[in-house]
Amino acid sequence: MKLKKHLLAIAVTAVALAAPGAAFAQNKVNLGVAIPAATHSFTAGIVWWANEAKKELEKANPDLKVTIKTAANAGEQANQLQDLATANKINALVIFPFESAALTKPVAQVKGKGVYVTVVDRGLTDTSAQDAYVSGDNTAFGKVPAEYIAKTLDGKGNIVALRGIATTLDNERMDAFNGVMKAYPDIKLLDAKYANWNRDDAFKVMQDYLTRFKQIDAVWAADDDMAIGVLKAIEQAKRDDIKIVFGGAGAKGMIKTLIDAKDPRIQANVSYSPKFIYDAIKMTAEARLKGEALPATTIIPSVLITKDNAKEFYFPDSPF
Amino acid sequence: MSIAVRFDGIVKEFGPVRVLHGVSFDLAPGRVYGLLGENGAGKSTLMKILSGYERPTGGTLHIDGEPRSFKSSRDAEAAGIVLIHQEFNLAEDLTITQNIFLGHERKRGWWLDEAAMRADTLRVLRQVGLDKDPDTPVRHLIVAEKQLVEIAKALARNARLLIMDEPTASLTPGETEALFTLMARLQADGVTIVYISHKLDEVERTTDDVIVMRDGRFVTRQPTRELTRHQMATLMVGREISDLYPDKDPAPTGAVPLLRVEGLTVPGWAADIAFDVKPGEILGFAGLVGAGRTELFEGLLGLRPHQVGRIELEGRAIRIRNPRDAVDQGITYLSEDRKGKGLHVGFGLRENLTLMALETYATPWLKPGAETRALKTAVQDFGIRTGSLDVKAASLSGGNQQKLALAKVLHPEPKVVILDEPTRGVDVGAKRDIYFLIQRLAREGRGVVVVSSELMELVGLCHRVAVMRGGRLRAMVDAQHLTEEELISHATGTNQRDQANGDKPSEEESMTAGR
Amino acid sequence: MVDRQLDQPAPPRFQRARSLGSRLHAVGPILGLVLLCVAGTLLNPDFASLDNAMNVLTRTAFIGIIAVGMCFVIISGGIDLSVGSMAALIAGMVILLMNTLAGSIDQPVLVVAIGMAASVVLGGVFGLAHGLLITRGRIEPFIVTLGTLGIFRAYLTYFSNGGAITLDDTLSDVYSPVYYTSVIGVPIPVWVFLIVAVAGALILNRTAYGRYVQAIGSNEQVARYAAVNVDRIKVMTYALLGACVGIATLLYVPRLGSSSPTTGLLWELEAIAAVIVGGTALKGGSGSIIGTVIGAVLLSVISNILNLTSVISVYLNAAVQGFVIIIVAFLQRRK
Ligand SMILES: Nc1ncnc2c1ncn2[C@@H]1O[C@H](COP(=O)(O)OP(=O)(O)OP(=O)(O)O)[C@@H](O)[C@H]1O
Ligand SMILES: [Mg+2]
Repeated sequence: MKLKKHLLAIAVTAVALAAPGAAFAQNKVNLGVAIPAATHSFTAGIVWWANEAKKELEKANPDLKVTIKTAANAGEQANQLQDLATANKINALVIFPFESAALTKPVAQVKGKGVYVTVVDRGLTDTSAQDAYVSGDNTAFGKVPAEYIAKTLDGKGNIVALRGIATTLDNERMDAFNGVMKAYPDIKLLDAKYANWNRDDAFKVMQDYLTRFKQIDAVWAADDDMAIGVLKAIEQAKRDDIKIVFGGAGAKGMIKTLIDAKDPRIQANVSYSPKFIYDAIKMTAEARLKGEALPATTIIPSVLITKDNAKEFYFPDSPF
Repeated sequence: MSIAVRFDGIVKEFGPVRVLHGVSFDLAPGRVYGLLGENGAGKSTLMKILSGYERPTGGTLHIDGEPRSFKSSRDAEAAGIVLIHQEFNLAEDLTITQNIFLGHERKRGWWLDEAAMRADTLRVLRQVGLDKDPDTPVRHLIVAEKQLVEIAKALARNARLLIMDEPTASLTPGETEALFTLMARLQADGVTIVYISHKLDEVERTTDDVIVMRDGRFVTRQPTRELTRHQMATLMVGREISDLYPDKDPAPTGAVPLLRVEGLTVPGWAADIAFDVKPGEILGFAGLVGAGRTELFEGLLGLRPHQVGRIELEGRAIRIRNPRDAVDQGITYLSEDRKGKGLHVGFGLRENLTLMALETYATPWLKPGAETRALKTAVQDFGIRTGSLDVKAASLSGGNQQKLALAKVLHPEPKVVILDEPTRGVDVGAKRDIYFLIQRLAREGRGVVVVSSELMELVGLCHRVAVMRGGRLRAMVDAQHLTEEELISHATGTNQRDQANGDKPSEEESMTAGR
Repeated sequence: MVDRQLDQPAPPRFQRARSLGSRLHAVGPILGLVLLCVAGTLLNPDFASLDNAMNVLTRTAFIGIIAVGMCFVIISGGIDLSVGSMAALIAGMVILLMNTLAGSIDQPVLVVAIGMAASVVLGGVFGLAHGLLITRGRIEPFIVTLGTLGIFRAYLTYFSNGGAITLDDTLSDVYSPVYYTSVIGVPIPVWVFLIVAVAGALILNRTAYGRYVQAIGSNEQVARYAAVNVDRIKVMTYALLGACVGIATLLYVPRLGSSSPTTGLLWELEAIAAVIVGGTALKGGSGSIIGTVIGAVLLSVISNILNLTSVISVYLNAAVQGFVIIIVAFLQRRK
């Protein structure tokens, strides 16, 4: 668990910096966790990891109580925040906001009641509404595959990309990808279309790419679900020009394919695990138990996954 | 206040079909005109042109000497011309008040002035003699009440020329009287009235002049008092009309009734009704509007919640849960509400005709050829007048829609047929045809039940007549005693014999309050 | 009388104006489709290739088959919002069933056959449940199917723990030809789509049941009075749609061999749009299966063309679809 150790190191240093000489008395912590409901595999992973954190931490710390709420939309999440603050009387909150803008006010209200707030993944529009921010590394999510593809293709070839849903998160990834590719003028990005992080849509988009482009060397599918659709489309078209299909986020199915070396086109992936909710809960709980604060921003790095380190990213029990 | 109208060579075409062939005549202010003509003669079409619902294809319309062409009914209403439709034009889910002011809402600033509209509605409802809460949704009204709302709606528009297209087709004698009083008052106020009706006695009583149309052409205009009813009929049809009613066959004496019903109760409408129909018998049902006749038969067919003691068909007990069961047993029902329950006005004639007997055309594929042949036969048999066989039912004239509806319920060849107001809106010639048809059905050994508000019709046609009042069967009048007076007295509760039986007219109120 | 009126020489002006108007109404969707195809070919000649045509038709098959069933429901005056979730749940349940059976039956072909049958049966049962709730329960179809929209998807999410339910590899190998094989150059899903559409058109226009469906949608009250067994016909209509969803699903499963909570998202809207773009009125009463088929093809052609070109900003893709739908609706509007 290199990643975990790495994270804890960051956390510990940060804590030490933020609260020098804080008392080590154990505080009672009533921690609320607000996350999206499990509507697709990534959020399902979030829910699973949040529950893992609750199990582990409550067992280890009798003074800690964790309440998890899952919401299907931004409105519901805002209501849950009110309930957590008034009915559950929480004094710390870890929230994965459904939307940045819509939830900024409700979170600020909770913070106004003296609750310690850690925001995960999607930053609020007004950062003063949060105490700490923990996020995945969207820049690396685009940069890592770009570098891998560029290197593997020897700086020369045709690639196509798929995008998720038009959001800032998706833009950050795409920009980072393009940023790297600037350095490789002989690599041609033929097109990048939205496929909504959805297998079926990715299948259709890839089918049409295959109709349109007679020579494709690599596909940046930008998500493991989309990569599945892409592979099916290639299989159907019986095309053998594509050498790399790069997914993203490290879903267990894809990692398994990597470990077993089942598909020559899948040699690498980039981590963006829902496990960061586990880390955020753990960091917040442990810091608050000691009455300490977290650093303002913690970024959980996205790293290249290859056959060599794939085992560290394989969690067969998680739904993701 | 009054308004003068001149039609000058009015032509109207619907696609390739020409229905008005250059109609010219004028209407002097302040008079009451009866407009007569066979079904499909073009009466409604001409009046729709006058009131802005249709645009003429050719010719001009002069109002008070000025040529005018109305772009919409609003335009015409602004000129003081209001039409009461033959087919109702009410929004079922809106209340009476909302319907009366639809498109003409009273406002106070930005808000609707509900109080003023309600008060006005109450006033016009009183004028037409309809005692209903103005906030009642129109959906809950029965046909006659809807007709009164249509009339009230026209009154609220302050018409200078009022066109009534068969307003009494679904009214009772009492309501009809009230309407005539109202017409007299309007005439005294100087309103010009055009009165379209197939009821020649009413035309005779209420109008100053009679205008006759035939086949889309103007035929004649004559002072009413110079014409007899018989002459009116002859002018309309263009040939001599012999007796309206067929000679009655003797009442059948068969022992086993074709249909026997016992203990039929439709909560709120009819209580503990028993009757039977013999093969070859024509059984009438008389009563005032609201007496529960229609509801009784809708209950029998399973269209309303009901309890029934026993139903026997040809001596065997049967169960009717819905109209499908009824048709399977050989019983069909013609609704009085042609537009709402009788015909799919958006469907073609063929689809309407065969709907109740569709299974016979499906083996398993439908045969459009066979359906079209059936339609051709029906058009002949029932004298349905239409420009083409491929039109929608909505484009038939009112009377011809009625004939189509009749053809439809007879199409499955029922053993017992229940006809609710079978001649509503039908011209004299066609009425006669329908009476002879009903007799033919009886002669073929079928049982025919005729529900009608036209007492003459029941007297002229039936072997026996059941009279309902306040949801109960009050009398069963047989052929010897069958007169209009006898029926009215039972229907209104003034019959000596009924009262001797302790049957008080006041019961009526308690029944009607229940609905 | 009839003869006399038919004898009237018709003014030719009228005849022509009328038939042109009604013809435009009928051919609106076809015209739209033809224009789109011309545009597609101009933008990218590959659009007109046989392979691309087959890709598009195969994709259309799922939505198209569902739309044929939806056409009946809409003509009857109803609506079904749950078809997308229903397809996803059926896919999930059928995959679980096949994976389980694979343990006890070692004839993968048999297992797949059972799975395919189960798919249609499940769809029929779900549709039946809708129909009974709507008729016996007297609940508005919008509400019933909005409810099941959530219920179906939630159960799928529950069965899959939020992740994907994936078909066993060996089964997948046996099953995938159902989606990927061609017969006489035409992929199987397209054949099935064709058969369903032809059957649908025959049922709608040439059987008593089809006529009853139209009668109910046109005026339920009149239909009831005309001895049409309204409740039974309605229940049958929802069951028919359910079966269509089942058929679509049995073709869908072999494509990716998995079902996840994002499977079939918004299919209900696509199916309803195909029906309406094809000229059926949302208020019911009348409609056309051919129009529906064209509507479905048209919708997938739009996104296909957008994928085959880069002239339009990807951010505007949805706008282009919106414009085309409105234009086609304009072409086929009723007078
Ligand atoms: N929208 C339409 N399209 C085609 N034909 C129509 C349309 N409206 C009316 N017609 C035809 O015009 C003719 C005249 O109809 P109209 O309704 O004026 O008759 P009418 O004299 O009022 O008959 P009735 O006494 O039955 O009410 C009929 O043959 C009818 O079929
Ligand atoms: Mg008329």
